[in-house]
Amino acid sequence: MRADIIKTYKTLHTWTGLIAGMALFICFFAGAMTMFKGTLDRWATPPQSVEWVDDSQWLTLMQQTLATHPEAENGFVLNLRPAENVAAPLVWDANPERSHHDPQEPWGATLNKDGELVTYRYAASPMAQLVDMLHQTAGIPGEGHHLFGVYVMGVISVLYALAIVSGLVVLLPTLLKDFLIVRRGKNLKRFWLDAHNVVGITSLPFHIMIALTVIVFAFHDQLYAALAGTTYKDRPLFERHAPHERSMETVADNLLPPAVLLANLKETAPDFVPREMAYSNPLGERAEVRIGGENHDHMVRGSDRGFVAMDPYTGEVEGTEYLPGQEDPWTEIIITIFSLHFGSFGGDFMRWVYVFMGLAGAFIFYSGNLLWVETRRRKQRRKGGPVEQKRSTRLMASATIGVCWGAVAGVALSMSAGKWLYDTMAADTLYMWAYYVVFLASVAWAFWRGPGRGAVELIAFAGLAWLTVPFTALLAWLVPGIPAWVQTAPGTLAVDGSALVAGLLLLEMSRRTAKRVFHGNTDSVWYAGEPVLDEQPVEIKANAA
Amino acid sequence: MAKSKTAVIQPDWISKTLAGALLGLGLAVAISGLFAWWGAGGIDTPNKVQFNMWVIPLYWMTIWSLVYLFRTGLRAWLVLGAATAAAHIALFVTPQILGAA
Repeated sequence: MRADIIKTYKTLHTWTGLIAGMALFICFFAGAMTMFKGTLDRWATPPQSVEWVDDSQWLTLMQQTLATHPEAENGFVLNLRPAENVAAPLVWDANPERSHHDPQEPWGATLNKDGELVTYRYAASPMAQLVDMLHQTAGIPGEGHHLFGVYVMGVISVLYALAIVSGLVVLLPTLLKDFLIVRRGKNLKRFWLDAHNVVGITSLPFHIMIALTVIVFAFHDQLYAALAGTTYKDRPLFERHAPHERSMETVADNLLPPAVLLANLKETAPDFVPREMAYSNPLGERAEVRIGGENHDHMVRGSDRGFVAMDPYTGEVEGTEYLPGQEDPWTEIIITIFSLHFGSFGGDFMRWVYVFMGLAGAFIFYSGNLLWVETRRRKQRRKGGPVEQKRSTRLMASATIGVCWGAVAGVALSMSAGKWLYDTMAADTLYMWAYYVVFLASVAWAFWRGPGRGAVELIAFAGLAWLTVPFTALLAWLVPGIPAWVQTAPGTLAVDGSALVAGLLLLEMSRRTAKRVFHGNTDSVWYAGEPVLDEQPVEIKANAA
Repeated sequence: MAKSKTAVIQPDWISKTLAGALLGLGLAVAISGLFAWWGAGGIDTPNKVQFNMWVIPLYWMTIWSLVYLFRTGLRAWLVLGAATAAAHIALFVTPQILGAA
């Protein structure tokens, strides 16, 4: 390929990658965690004893709640199964106005043994939701119609898409020759570059898909507006469901028992496993119930759910667009795209694959930044004196390790702090503060200590931070009476187990980084050993960092 | 690799980037609009609008990422500008051709 093309695209790759890299690292790392958002939510919810109700009592529960709690008329959710993070069979938000992201004033209702209504305010754990926010925004604060960080990540994803194509163009001439080769030699830059390329090329389709979907997630309103302005004009973009025709009044007495709705649904969709029923406006003209559920044989629209809407008074199925397996072809394409981003096909196996794809993505961005630093390294000439590295590369190296490892440590310590300091302050404030304090302190630490020492210390710190998670679980199990708790279902214990593995791997990574930092090449931003004063180049045993 | 000097592509970062960002998006929207009318099922197919919206970034980023192959920023603007204008004119007259108001 022509050298001028390669040169142009190399420049493009370098700068788009450099600008987008750190934010993408955070999003990919947090995204890997959101693959098990449901499990994390269960893990982060303190144990609670919930009186569960029988299927036949669902209607009574709904009617009694509506009669005594008018706020529930805006809408409520009937949970069909108990779980660690389900506070009651029936839940609603008594103050739905303030935010569309989280319930502000969650209430739950159940029936006691004598069939009497019991209602209570409860606290939902915000931890899993905050990891999801971190995934969507990279932690960039602010909220308008969307989270502000979502728009930022939309722009970042434009750069990311350019970085993907330009990276591919740069790699093309040597693609076949070097395909899947990782050279672990004396030349550490070669090793990092090979690794960057191999991971990049093998996960190329995944990255193209992520970049394009994030642009849509951020700017779909604007893109729809563009289509409406140029193409659809007076045509409505979306069909509205025809108004309901019912022969009965929409009062609580006329509501059909949920079990009857589910039986109706079963005829339409035998493989659909309903999990919850979200009633909106149950006593209004537009009363509707949206049933969320799983179907492991089909891709689904939500991150783990498909949906179907029904009329709670007639039991008619209203919209099957998002009912797994019954979509029209256009919707099916859209669902496939959503599903590819969320990794919500193929069950837990595919979720784990996505976890590793996410972490591999984070590696690409981290290694990309290190390569930028390495490329600008000032080499010590044979018999030359010690060289001073450029200020810009030192700062970039510090920023990279501070941001990346700060985010990794921040999430872990936030998870543990949420358990130890539970009930001392509002939970979302607690998790947010814990994350941002650790993150910002790590960034400051990286600049203060410099890239070499900073890397060793921050990676070790992140490792210890992750170890606090299983350690907390262990203490909670051994020592009763401490504020921390441990959820002992296999899925939630897997969170603690994964944290243990992550912590140990990070400590090992820190040990290896230390080798290079203190005993590696002296002519590098990473060198932090004894200052070099003699003229002899230091003999180095190549050791893959 | 012996290329004459005039054949070497100029970086022209700002003008090419603007061409990719602005004209690329304009062209992408027009392509998607043309597909909405002429593509499978036509304009009134339910739910097709979601697909049409979703593919815009695919067209857009493809155009944008290839814009740097133009020899100069000026050529990028001329060629992409002409293509974008042509696509939008085609999109504008499509309802008349198809006889849909």
